[in-house]
Amino acid sequence: MSYDILVVGSGIGGMESAIKLGDMGYKVLVVEKDSSVGGKMILLSKVFPTLDCASCISTPKMAATVNHPNIDVMTYSEVEQVQRVQNGQFKVRVRRKPTFINQSACTGCRQCEEVCNVAVPDQFNFDLVARRAAYIPFPQAVPKKAVIEKRGSSPCSFTCPAGIKAHGYVALARSGKFDEAFNLVLDSTPLVGSLGRACYAPCEGQCTRGGLEGPVEIRRLKSYIAERHYNAHPQPVTLTTAEPKGRQVAVVGSGPAGLTCAFQLARQGYGVKIFEAASRPGGMLGLAIPAYRLPREVLDRDIQNVTALGVKIATNTRVNNIDSLQEQGFDAVFLATGTPGNARLGVAGENLNGVIGALEFLRRVNLGEDVNLQGQKVVVIGGGNVAMDAARVAARLGAAQVALHYRRSREDMPAHGWEVEAAGVEGVEFHYFSAPVKFNGQDGQLNTVELIRLEPGAPDAGGRPKPVPVQGSEHQVAADLVITAVGLVPQAAGLADGLKLNPDGTVLVNTDTLQTAVPHVFAGGDVVTGPSMIVNAVAQGKKAAFYIDRYLRGEQLAGVNYDDRLPVVDQKEVMGRQQSYSNLPAVGTKNQNGTNMTGQTSAGSVTEPALTEAEARYSAGRCLDCGVCSECSQCITTCPANAVDMAMRERVEEVEAAAVIMSTGFKLFPAELKTQYGYGTLKNVITGMHMDRLLAPTRPYNSVLRPGDGKVPDNIAFVLCTGSRDCTVDNQLCSRVCCMYSVKHNQLIMGALPLADVTVYYMDIRAFSKGYDEFYQQAEAMGANFVRGRIAGIDENQDGNLVLQYEDIANGGQTVTAEHDLVVLSVGMLPNTDAYGIFSGESLQTDDFSFVKEMDEDIDPGRTSIDGVFVAGTASGARDIPDSILHAGAAAAQAAAYVERARVKR
Amino acid sequence: MRDVREIIREEMLMRDRVLAVLEAGPKTVPEIAVALGHPSEEVMFWVMGMRKYGVVVETEEEDGYFKYQAAAAGGEH
Repeated sequence: MSYDILVVGSGIGGMESAIKLGDMGYKVLVVEKDSSVGGKMILLSKVFPTLDCASCISTPKMAATVNHPNIDVMTYSEVEQVQRVQNGQFKVRVRRKPTFINQSACTGCRQCEEVCNVAVPDQFNFDLVARRAAYIPFPQAVPKKAVIEKRGSSPCSFTCPAGIKAHGYVALARSGKFDEAFNLVLDSTPLVGSLGRACYAPCEGQCTRGGLEGPVEIRRLKSYIAERHYNAHPQPVTLTTAEPKGRQVAVVGSGPAGLTCAFQLARQGYGVKIFEAASRPGGMLGLAIPAYRLPREVLDRDIQNVTALGVKIATNTRVNNIDSLQEQGFDAVFLATGTPGNARLGVAGENLNGVIGALEFLRRVNLGEDVNLQGQKVVVIGGGNVAMDAARVAARLGAAQVALHYRRSREDMPAHGWEVEAAGVEGVEFHYFSAPVKFNGQDGQLNTVELIRLEPGAPDAGGRPKPVPVQGSEHQVAADLVITAVGLVPQAAGLADGLKLNPDGTVLVNTDTLQTAVPHVFAGGDVVTGPSMIVNAVAQGKKAAFYIDRYLRGEQLAGVNYDDRLPVVDQKEVMGRQQSYSNLPAVGTKNQNGTNMTGQTSAGSVTEPALTEAEARYSAGRCLDCGVCSECSQCITTCPANAVDMAMRERVEEVEAAAVIMSTGFKLFPAELKTQYGYGTLKNVITGMHMDRLLAPTRPYNSVLRPGDGKVPDNIAFVLCTGSRDCTVDNQLCSRVCCMYSVKHNQLIMGALPLADVTVYYMDIRAFSKGYDEFYQQAEAMGANFVRGRIAGIDENQDGNLVLQYEDIANGGQTVTAEHDLVVLSVGMLPNTDAYGIFSGESLQTDDFSFVKEMDEDIDPGRTSIDGVFVAGTASGARDIPDSILHAGAAAAQAAAYVERARVKR
Repeated sequence: MRDVREIIREEMLMRDRVLAVLEAGPKTVPEIAVALGHPSEEVMFWVMGMRKYGVVVETEEEDGYFKYQAAAAGGEH
């Protein structure tokens, strides 16, 4: 696309230039970084000296800009680069930020804002009040369309292998929307409660709050959400499912992968039957994980989420040949048989009675078999989570001694630190660099274990020191039971003709689609990955369902974008959003997964205490909203226009323009730099822009109130020249507007709050333009008290009132104090240098004060150091609104003349 | 004063607690602050955020302070 003129920025100057040029017949492109045109003027109360409504003046220009036949407007976009090309034109690269809301469909109804669960400071009210992550910037926005601020994926959500929107359900829990939080997790997996109890929570490992007092307790929150829901709904709430598709899918194995896949396929209208070899469903969740970590009633209720959709589960049904399933009428198969086999140590005596694999040991306990360890000596071999589970269960079953032997150091243990710690609390002894050599017995019954000491040797293939035996360190320990936990292996050989296995016995799949060598057979979970976390298996089940659905619909599997999460947000950027953080410690005074800190070990009955509702909301309230939008999906379900589009992504557009007008406006002086005025620390010290917002019809409060306590102020002070004409803050320029906007405030306040006293502390009043002096005189006549004196300092009383110390110049220069209940700092304008770097190969020169330099301000206004680039309005210096409009007109004329000259030359 | 972003983020957490305080009748910001045990300037952010989204509305002014009550309808509650 080729334009005559590019206008960067859509404040009053940018709009004026664009409209003038459009009216002349030039094709104009306006690029605006915010989602509405209008700049700062639309946020003002009124304009001086006429006291005309700023909105009434701005909105027609905003509408004219957006609807002009010769003007294209790109809102929520930023010019990244402007480069001159050979034909004299400028090539312009524009970054279109994703709005995540279809701008054509959005009706501006604000329902997305009302249900949004993330509150952030409203920059359009200069942080006086909150807005939402989903927002329309202000009521008069043009276009009046919502956008969603989404800075990227929150680390918790991004890390979850299953794509569970952790930030989303945390945000919902923070708002007390627990059922909505449950449903958000349920959207990914039926195992809401099981994950709440037993997930190893990689999300918490990435939580940004972890860099402060500790991560948000995301897993325990999920547990609270699930069990609260289950208490309220003993039977599953009916879920909406797709129309039956008339296709059948067999799922082999009812662990987390199988259950999740079955659930997702059933929701999509497939008939699903699960085949489970064990006597009850759940796979490792029910057979391997101790009940103190995952109460059976929680797992059972999770499984009801699946069966409630019509999924049949055939227990005690081992599938020995997958090929037969096709003959039974199943159109596709998902193989999720896990890793039901124990790896063997390969030492003598492993077949003795009294030597048992950890999985078999845990299975017997979990199926309720009589396993009595009272007074027995138990040796556990291994250092993973299964070894920890076995050791802790043995301790809880009354063993006199549980000794765990691991061949490397504690730091090398694959088990999670908290599990090792909990096992220690429960009395498990740890022996590092120790390995069995032989199991001894008599009459086939184990009685001792021969162990050997190890020491770190040369690095192995993985770079870790390989443990090597210490010669002569062999020794024997008495043992009634040895539990081996040195790995789990799949048992998938011979399940189907054509099924290919990896050397380690796992099933070979296409890692993108989980399709096996047999086209209608997909596989996932531990049978593919080897032993892994529950949530990894859930992820595979969810992914398999996605691809099985495509396979059964005859759609292509390759090249499909299954996981479209945004890149993870930069945690440094997240932390940089705040100047300070309160100390908000985690609730976790109770140990994770199973014990209280008294070390109670009896009977295996001690389960993790549930959070209370107050604890849950407090914990959720610690979330930092890293990605800003939490992806809670409330806007998606609420939007009546179905306009929310989370698949939207940033894109870059390139256009050409013959000339450029820079109308990037100004920045306000940061009042906190004048530390003696207390802005940012004294709660009733505000800036002039705040007062404009408080006086505007679209004000953040219901009236002019002081922000410290909502009091209607009755004694207001204005401090002129805050940060202007002030070498201490390196700004010697007059702001050119703060005298007059303060006088405007005086008059408006005396209209809105007739009983209020207004005092203006000034050096001199600069009323230089038409009607300005009369405007000032009028304020004085209305009762505004003008005091010539510079404020030296401001202190705060207990009631929030402010004590000002000043030099009373008009009365001999003595130091005087005065008390006010609200202080307004009349801040001035500073250059906005954000966009100066967009020009490639050419440098945009600035003046001594860093405004865009006009090469001959007096006789050639608007012309910059780059041929064909012009400047309009306050980008070139502090100006009031009439001057900005005049200047923008001049810049438009300059740009038009330039374009015409270029045409003539060609 | 705490960081504004942190205070504002807590609006979602505090909303139900503010509404619970208002069940006893309309209250000023300082009165709500006393009931919650939080500083008035923080309560101001929460009440004004709730007002913006129609959860509370102002009633009469008394001794220089407006009172706020739960909105009869509108908003999420």
